[in-house]
Amino acid sequence: MNACAHRDDVGSYVLRALPEDEHERFESHLATCEGCRREVADLQMAADTLPLAAVQVGPPPELRERIMAVVRSEAELLNAAEERADEQRPDPARSPRRRRRWPALSLRPLPAALAAGVLVAAGVVGGVVLSGGSHTSTVTGTVRIASAPAARASLQLSDDATKLEVRRMPPPPSGKVYQVWLKRPNQNPAPTTALFRTDANGSADVEIQRGRLKGVDQVLVTAEPDGGSMAPTSAPVIIASPA
Amino acid sequence: MAFAQLADEDLMQLVRRGDAEAFAVVYDRHATAAFSLAYRMTGTRNTAEDVVQEAFLSLWRSGARYDRTRGSVRTWVLGIVHNRAIDALRRSMVHDRRRASDEGIEERFEARERTDVEAARRDEARDVRQALGTLPPEQCKVIELAYFGGFTHSEIASLLDTPIGTVKGRMRLGLEKLRGQLGGLAEAMS
Repeated sequence: MNACAHRDDVGSYVLRALPEDEHERFESHLATCEGCRREVADLQMAADTLPLAAVQVGPPPELRERIMAVVRSEAELLNAAEERADEQRPDPARSPRRRRRWPALSLRPLPAALAAGVLVAAGVVGGVVLSGGSHTSTVTGTVRIASAPAARASLQLSDDATKLEVRRMPPPPSGKVYQVWLKRPNQNPAPTTALFRTDANGSADVEIQRGRLKGVDQVLVTAEPDGGSMAPTSAPVIIASPA
Repeated sequence: MAFAQLADEDLMQLVRRGDAEAFAVVYDRHATAAFSLAYRMTGTRNTAEDVVQEAFLSLWRSGARYDRTRGSVRTWVLGIVHNRAIDALRRSMVHDRRRASDEGIEERFEARERTDVEAARRDEARDVRQALGTLPPEQCKVIELAYFGGFTHSEIASLLDTPIGTVKGRMRLGLEKLRGQLGGLAEAMS
């Protein structure tokens, strides 16, 4: 028997009926309350049967076509990035100094004044807000780091600058730095000078370039050796589609 | 081996490695259930399509997050759809949301080529609807408003002119009864 004072929140929680702030507080509570955790697991099983009560209606075939077009194009992109990564892996017979590096790369954290002005619209795909007379649109990126399910990334696109904002992201592996790449249709990802590491909270605000991106269909982030690379040496950990 | 012969969990291993054709099989198996849930929640085909597209692309891009010890692929997919539909409903900030009418819809279960799967889905749907029908109406109401309507407990309390504590209690008690009645099905889905 769960005698916890928060017990009545369990039903609302599994039905996702708690407002966002209460939802987050209850999740923190779950981390410390075995009784509520057990009850959530039990009632979640009941909640999971509810979709079966909906009248079954088939989706239109065009929906499958739209989704598969995106999936196939991203699969090609990932395969291309991984093939490039294989090509770029250092040959043990070669001196490490001969590995190609982007010559003028340096860490470029976003200046504090700019960071303060970054508009956040988490979870909104293509949301548009008005900032100082110019439109800023926000595109949510996808973070592909299995160990960091809470990690989030978004692009802030405006006439002034294109910025990447990441939250709750783990630091790059030792000796590596995150590097931003711009992918244009039918081309290999082009390197940028935007290199970054996350702070203690997993956050980073990075200016990718002045002005808007032109002709770029994917913004990628990979972990690269310190100093960055000319071509990706690992698979992307962030993919965002600004178009 | 043909992808169609593989279990969902094995297909997800391939999806995690970026295999688009394995993903297509996962889509075909669960798209009807996903679309039906989204349509029931949002009440319009266009929004339901958007929700299903967002949910499946999220599944494709975050396949690495699927953990088979925490439930079936179907439950995981439907959980993503449910969350995305709630986000869409709350973004719209329209609380007199149209509900999908069941009238005139020809119910269609998935697995066009496998009648045994279709028969099993029909049985599951019947069991869940019957179990919901046996709940006290006030418990069934709050569960439906929360799960399918995307309303928060405070919105439901206001809609029904009932204290929030009572609404929360009805949700928990109703789910406990469902869990008792659908024990086998609930465990099979997890």
